[in-house]
Amino acid sequence: MALGRSYLIGAGSGMTAAADLEVVEAGSGPTLGLLHGMLGTPASSALVAVLARTHRVIAPNLPGFGGSASREQRTFYDWVWTLSEVIDRVGLAGKPVVASSVGAMLAADLATIRPDVFERLVLLAPLGLWVDAVPVHDVWSERTPRQPAWLVDDVAALSPFFDDELSATADERTEAELRRYRTRRSAASIMWPIPERGLCDRIHRLRCPVHVVWGGRDRLAPAAVYGPLWQRLLPACTGLTVVEAAGHLLEWDAPQNTAATVLDSLGLPSESIH
Amino acid sequence: MKFIFFHLMPYAELPDDFPERHRSVWVDIDPSLYDPTKGRQMYLDYLDELEFAAAAGFDGVGVNEHHANGYGLMPSPNLMAATLARNTSDAAVVVLGDSLALYNPPLRVAEELAMLDVISGGRVVAGFPVGTAMDTCFAYGIDPATLRERYDEAHDLIVRAWTEPEPFTFNGRYTKLRSVNCWPRPIQRPHPPIWVPGGGSIETWQWCAETSYVYCYLSYYGYKLGRPQMRGFWEHVRSLGLDPNPYRTGFAQFVAVADTDAEARELYREPAEYFYKRCLHVHGGYAEPPGYKTEATVRAGVRSQVEMAARRGADQPKSGSKAALAGITFDDIVEKGYVILGSPTTVAEKLAEVAKDLNVGHMITFLHFGNMSKELCTYNTKLFAERVLPEVGSLFDDEWEDLWWPSGARTSSAPVRA
Repeated sequence: MALGRSYLIGAGSGMTAAADLEVVEAGSGPTLGLLHGMLGTPASSALVAVLARTHRVIAPNLPGFGGSASREQRTFYDWVWTLSEVIDRVGLAGKPVVASSVGAMLAADLATIRPDVFERLVLLAPLGLWVDAVPVHDVWSERTPRQPAWLVDDVAALSPFFDDELSATADERTEAELRRYRTRRSAASIMWPIPERGLCDRIHRLRCPVHVVWGGRDRLAPAAVYGPLWQRLLPACTGLTVVEAAGHLLEWDAPQNTAATVLDSLGLPSESIH
Repeated sequence: MKFIFFHLMPYAELPDDFPERHRSVWVDIDPSLYDPTKGRQMYLDYLDELEFAAAAGFDGVGVNEHHANGYGLMPSPNLMAATLARNTSDAAVVVLGDSLALYNPPLRVAEELAMLDVISGGRVVAGFPVGTAMDTCFAYGIDPATLRERYDEAHDLIVRAWTEPEPFTFNGRYTKLRSVNCWPRPIQRPHPPIWVPGGGSIETWQWCAETSYVYCYLSYYGYKLGRPQMRGFWEHVRSLGLDPNPYRTGFAQFVAVADTDAEARELYREPAEYFYKRCLHVHGGYAEPPGYKTEATVRAGVRSQVEMAARRGADQPKSGSKAALAGITFDDIVEKGYVILGSPTTVAEKLAEVAKDLNVGHMITFLHFGNMSKELCTYNTKLFAERVLPEVGSLFDDEWEDLWWPSGARTSSAPVRA
């Protein structure tokens, strides 16, 4: 699968949230946005590669994720504001967007403020709603080596994120470890202390069509509870699809099946990806 | 040299099998383990021990803040300091300290410490820790990525509240107040001395050197492990062209005294093991959530881990980690200097060695630890005051002045009056 290209949109490009932000782009065709989950979108993303067969995929990494510089986000709404600017800057306004986990949490909230910002959304295991009886698991209280098992069904699926090149020097490996630290710090910041910011009071304003996709083996936010909840509360939900044998970050666990579901929900033949 | 009698106020009745049956002493410790009737007696005993130490000749008495844990039962150190301010006469009252980011608004810290300073007659030390991740991020829900910025802003508000001559508006990122007007004002001017407890963050010692706050290294693993941090601090002091006045620093040290080394080992074994195996039984996932450490600190630590891995030396559990503590023995605790333990001569010699090696003028001593009985703590305190303090209390006095000591507190260890 072809790798995406990665480039930076720099500080001074007219954005209030200016920082050197990495954008991953691949493919040609109709534009499709991808907003990452907790681990960012690497240029080697399998989901990007599959979707890029039929679309021009634009996948920005928000501050601190992937190769993007960190920028202090004081509140959740700093994150939403940053996303709003990034969407405009990379040309995703009015386009269909796929968003995962924390990215979906931000996208959903943005769409309640700017109802026309997205043509439609496909939300992969979105965070932002809360059920007291079945709380979203506090992954950040797990020891670091145990965190991957809460994010995916098969931890080997995260090897592109965690494994350093064997030939890398100590300095390169240090920088790679710091990139991972910044990514985790940013994801934790969006979610801290619990990933709920009152969306339930505003979700009625999220008017664009939304398809919800969930990993059947999501240990973080169980599909059986949260999938139907989103489906019920979204005013224009086009359906809920469960991808079996996938955990919370289903785009890492099952990129082919996730891509097929995305394309189906966009009204495109999923056979085109095989 | 100044000696502060510091108390953690632990819950002293955790069951023997606590480490095996419970995940953590902090954050999610089982609430059913706390017996308030026993807790009451613990508080009364601990306050007695602090007041006894003040009367026995310690230069200061110290308290701190922690939440949701059996390690230290003071969610509000200011409450404890209030009773100490009334029931001591000339010892410093060292609040080490209020976790600034946890107070909403942080103005509350300025007000309460000012109250304490007035009640005590100008004897307060204002300790400003960033706070552990367990307390700040998990127990009190602070986003780790914003914790230090909140702390910095809280510090600025507090210092301004103490020193601005007129009411003022505070337009912070995290706190906005139309009218800040701190009543009362502290007796000490411009404000009580500020001490900053740190556990190894590079930024903390840099900041302390630059602001001339006292850098206190608080760790329970002996002075040898504390050396890199203390030397980092002194190198930064030197780079700024400042003098190496030992009173720029404080260091935490457990101390246990008896008539002989052998007797000390016998008397203090159980409380030491209780502390290291139960009070420090912290679930690893709570210690350092992403964002709690700054990038610079992570870089320094990460680099050493990468280097160690490259040298295939990363197999040993990190000192102080749960894995390491699980196998810790009392011999380790003594031989590695976690507790300075022995006869008065042994203890005096060791403390002098620590003070000179690290160039520390404020020795923050823990003469109560673990499940030590009041009787044993009183014995430890009295013996220390009578036989150790006279040997080491005057260290540094000929050469350096303590510019970071409360103006209302006594400046030399008084003879035993108890």
